[in-house]
Amino acid sequence: MVKDLREYFQTLEAAGSNDVLRVSRPVDPRGFDVAAILQQLENRGDRRVVRFEKTLDLEGRPTDFSLVYNLFLTRELCAQAIGHPRGAVKMPLSLEFARRGEEHREPEVMDPSRAPVKEVVLSGEAVNMTTVPMFRYHEQDIGQYLTMLAVMKDPDDGFYDISFCKNMYLSPRRLTVSLQRKLSKHLLTILEKNEERGRPTPVAFILGHHPALSLGASALTTFGNDDYGTLGSFLGQPLRLTPSTSLGDDFLVPADAEMIIEGVIPPHAAEIQNPFGEFSRYYQPQVAVPYMEVTAVTHRRKAVIQGVFPGHADHFNLGSLAKEGGIYSEIKRVYRGVQAVYLPHSGVGRYTCYVSIKKRREADAKLVGMVPHLHVHHMQFVVVVDEDVDVFNEEDVIWAVVTRARLHQDINVLKGMPRADRVVIDATVPLDEPFPRKAQVPRQAVESCKLEEWLG
Amino acid sequence: MPVREDIFWVTCPRCGEKFYCDNQLRHSSIKLMCPKCRHRFLDSDSPEIRE
Repeated sequence: MVKDLREYFQTLEAAGSNDVLRVSRPVDPRGFDVAAILQQLENRGDRRVVRFEKTLDLEGRPTDFSLVYNLFLTRELCAQAIGHPRGAVKMPLSLEFARRGEEHREPEVMDPSRAPVKEVVLSGEAVNMTTVPMFRYHEQDIGQYLTMLAVMKDPDDGFYDISFCKNMYLSPRRLTVSLQRKLSKHLLTILEKNEERGRPTPVAFILGHHPALSLGASALTTFGNDDYGTLGSFLGQPLRLTPSTSLGDDFLVPADAEMIIEGVIPPHAAEIQNPFGEFSRYYQPQVAVPYMEVTAVTHRRKAVIQGVFPGHADHFNLGSLAKEGGIYSEIKRVYRGVQAVYLPHSGVGRYTCYVSIKKRREADAKLVGMVPHLHVHHMQFVVVVDEDVDVFNEEDVIWAVVTRARLHQDINVLKGMPRADRVVIDATVPLDEPFPRKAQVPRQAVESCKLEEWLG
Repeated sequence: MPVREDIFWVTCPRCGEKFYCDNQLRHSSIKLMCPKCRHRFLDSDSPEIRE
């Protein structure tokens, strides 16, 4: 069966699970309906996927589109999305992400006449982005945004690069494209290659697809990787592609997406974007970013638009899970004793990394602690602990820091790095001096204890 | 700190809303936009700048 967002919902609901909450009253993008509902659910500890079945557009008119949020709210949901057991969501899940990130499945190309995403095709003057529901989430957000996957094609080598991007509504056929010039990113490299040649940059945005695609788009890949192949690996089957409507037959887009927004970014185009409450849980500053002229919108009938609640657990997992696996693989290349890697929500799934190792030499932790900084540009704090510490248990990690790190030599500040200093904390037991032994209840006593019998 | 940004604070000359911008927009010819009233203005027109 072809995997797409609709097939995913069927799987989720067929299991008889209580994973999906449906909201049937229409939500209005001119207010904060969606964010307020998601915030209330979070406050209650409700961790379900939310389907907003009725929406209004930017002019307050009813639409045929529905919305889905919280697809990545828990590690269990992320496991289900890639077909991994929901009962093994700590390191086995990270390792599965690492494995998928290194695999490649060649996509299949299908004729547009059979592509579900071409059920409705709007191009040129027929495009009107006010008919698409897009939302504000935080009080000072400057406008309505879409949060989605951007696809660009390298003009030299023809590979596709895919990354998360947000778009702010500017006018019926113009959206911002959230690429900041001062941050080095793959999509920006492609944009700048085209600009050097005085050419516009074709871009397509994927708005709704199987959640494995979004998880795969977070994988740590090098520039030059054909990301459609990586998405196929996460999907567990070749991704079906089809020629774009307005960017030429040789620009391919996912055939089973809910909606594709196609456009071109004129060379050196710049428009204001932000404030926008981002993953850091702070407002991103106002900044000049490129904008796109929307050339076509194609979608399924009754398309389901996928959103992310910025700066909340949904957003954190989306940024962290694939990176945990990627960091694990990178450490493994240089250090066989790595045991587990976790990017906690307290570090918004990006800034902080906990790594456990089977330490053999005194310098191991400090060397291993450098690796996450080399591969994740947001990374700020890396804490390396011994294998007896559960990196997925933050209390355990902090306990190791306060009892094992020698403050004068184990907190290493890497000064003069881009944007901010970086930190590596070695919270492992020192091998070069006497150190107390961790107190433990005898394992055999714990394992043989039948608690039910004691509690009656 | 990780969230430290190279920013300056401005005040909207029309409604008084305070917000911050990336330093790339300081002394730029690109007009800022107030997130509250959507007024477009140059940073030099802000009644107060904190940087």
